[in-house]
Amino acid sequence: MRDVAIVGAGMTPCRSRWIEKTFWELAQMAVAESVRDAGIHIDEVEAGVAGIYNDIFEFQAIPESGLQGIIGMQNKPLLRVSNGGATGGYAMLAAHQMVASGQHDLALCVGVEKALDCYDFEAESPTPAVVQTIGYSWDPWFERPLGAHATESYAEVVQAYMDEHPGDLAPLARARIAEMLSTYARNNPYAQRKNEQVTAQQVLQSRYVVYPIRALETCVYTEGACALLMASGDKAREIQKRTGQGPIWITGAAAANEPYFVGSDISRYKVLHRIYSDELATRKALEQARLRIEDIQVMELHDAFIPQLMITLAEMGVVPLGRANDLVEEGLIMPGGKYLLNPSGGLTFGGHFVGGSNMMSAWSVRRELLARNLEHGLIHGTGASLSMYAVVMILERRN
Amino acid sequence: MAQPIIRPRMQPEEGMREVLVDGKTHLLRNDVMFTAMQHAQGEFSEFFLSLRDEQRIFGHRCPRCRHLIVPPFMKRCPPCNFADMEKEYVKDVGVMAASPVITVFAPSRFKDQVPFGTGRVFLEAQDGTPASTAMLVRVRTTLGTIRPGIYRKGTPVKIVFSPHRRGAVDDIFAVPQSELTPAQLAKSPLAENEIDWDRMPEAAWTGTAPEEGAVLKEAVRLFRKLAEMVRKSPRATADLRSWQRRVRLESPAGAFGFVIDNCQIEVSEDTSATPDLIFRIHDPAILVGWLRGASAGARAGPQSPPLTDLVVEGTLILNKPEMETITRLDRIPRSLRRDLIVD
Repeated sequence: MRDVAIVGAGMTPCRSRWIEKTFWELAQMAVAESVRDAGIHIDEVEAGVAGIYNDIFEFQAIPESGLQGIIGMQNKPLLRVSNGGATGGYAMLAAHQMVASGQHDLALCVGVEKALDCYDFEAESPTPAVVQTIGYSWDPWFERPLGAHATESYAEVVQAYMDEHPGDLAPLARARIAEMLSTYARNNPYAQRKNEQVTAQQVLQSRYVVYPIRALETCVYTEGACALLMASGDKAREIQKRTGQGPIWITGAAAANEPYFVGSDISRYKVLHRIYSDELATRKALEQARLRIEDIQVMELHDAFIPQLMITLAEMGVVPLGRANDLVEEGLIMPGGKYLLNPSGGLTFGGHFVGGSNMMSAWSVRRELLARNLEHGLIHGTGASLSMYAVVMILERRN
Repeated sequence: MAQPIIRPRMQPEEGMREVLVDGKTHLLRNDVMFTAMQHAQGEFSEFFLSLRDEQRIFGHRCPRCRHLIVPPFMKRCPPCNFADMEKEYVKDVGVMAASPVITVFAPSRFKDQVPFGTGRVFLEAQDGTPASTAMLVRVRTTLGTIRPGIYRKGTPVKIVFSPHRRGAVDDIFAVPQSELTPAQLAKSPLAENEIDWDRMPEAAWTGTAPEEGAVLKEAVRLFRKLAEMVRKSPRATADLRSWQRRVRLESPAGAFGFVIDNCQIEVSEDTSATPDLIFRIHDPAILVGWLRGASAGARAGPQSPPLTDLVVEGTLILNKPEMETITRLDRIPRSLRRDLIVD
């Protein structure tokens, strides 16, 4: 496998609603920005990947088809990726493989999503329709007819974990993480909730969406786009000479998906109180990078829900399973602690445009590695029923 | 008569709306992503027919590794290189894999069913061993609305069959075995209409009851004050549009009633009329907290949790799973603030 580096990145602002822009325009804005950032012409890009989670959100089947000419990929290969909440992570994995395999020297990875065009005319609100649209991700025979949906599904994992580890995922610890992320979002110029500072007390008082998860512990629905440019080692060094901006190397890239059905044998079924895919993907990615989790300085993790984020951190080995409160109580992930966690504000306060939000995580880690002169970062995406998908990438800044 | 799958009110009329963004006009077009289905139930038809016609549940067992999967979501066992699995009936009892979760904000097509509980059950094989997989089911209680603590990991449950079975997974649901009589437990299949669903008033108060009735009197006073404010607020009045309910609120210190009708609330200490809905609250001071917040606005200090949360947590128990009255009441404080009735 060849070395691969991120040489450019572009973002649109994250908004709950872009009435004035379609997903075509959002994708083009992000790609144009990434090309400017890398100092290249789009014609230099040989292939691309489009992360788009949900056709219904785009109101079009094969929504990537319209993008082809708009993002400058006419007459070139463009692979559509759709892997639930982890769509952005899997799209990056595909773009990475295009370059690492030696097939291409420069690949585009763009993620885009609309969401709030969905509307429940009975409730006179988009939210139930958005929740319903995501709910179509559950199987139509055994789970969807029971009203299974994203928050319900992740809440099952959270509740099962709390059954297994009573007292862990303490409400105050969760609330303090949400408070921290709302503060971090101020430093993300693209964040959806950059002006929404919340206190731990407000988090504790916010209403339940699905018991035991509260509204302010939950990611937002977002419309937006992000684009990354991934280059081979030689191409990255050539671009660096043009721009003077150092590449960020991808030294580990791994994924794992757990099975859909719940059971008692972790080798064959989803064990409800675990997010085993996070452990597997993290372990593989760190092995590739020849690092331990302790070596990571900045991480952007997929915080669909704050208690799920805490389980993910435990699965990654930051703390033992059952000791996730230590993340907060010992300050490991808090400001000034060992790990800089979700400096973009994460998906809860930065935004969650599903097809590309994991790319926003890469955009953020790259930004922090360069700005703070850090060496090692980690990005993570999860998704699908019961948080069963996981993608982990290790990023490195070299002197 | 069969009901439409998509309620008429969910279907938009043709229309185009103009929205001004940054001084420029943009269009929003009413539309639908419309695909009606005759959705093939395929190899699962046998399982759903068994639920509907035999009121029995079966799984698939691999003859090699002996894993038993319920529901029978596949016919071959991948770890045994796709060995053919065999049909095996299981018992209608099992244990919860974890505490269920309670949905308050649901997808469009389920929003009139909240609050509802969903959880996974390891059903028992005929020899009493648990299945290898746990099946998602709706969980219900005979003691009012679903709330935390009724089920936990390991809670023994019984599967109950709906009288209106159509050959689908929602033909069945679970109830805790502890809420059933020995005769009900012994019966297979157990039908929904063989269970007394209105036991909430029999439920004993938990903890120590507040002794004085003064708190309840304060609740009545504040509820009347709230009702007066609703009359002055167009938004709060609209919150109660097209809704009629007679509610009795019971607490150890006594009871009072209120009626929602004609977009208004009428509070009464006479509780003799048969209510549509019963609210039970052990400590009426919690209700007083909500009423103070609602009628005093932001100046009331720390905000009370919304009534929805009180229901979900089990502080406020309803005699049936019908949240509409609660969610409408929860909208009133915000409407009063927006209409400047309170600040």
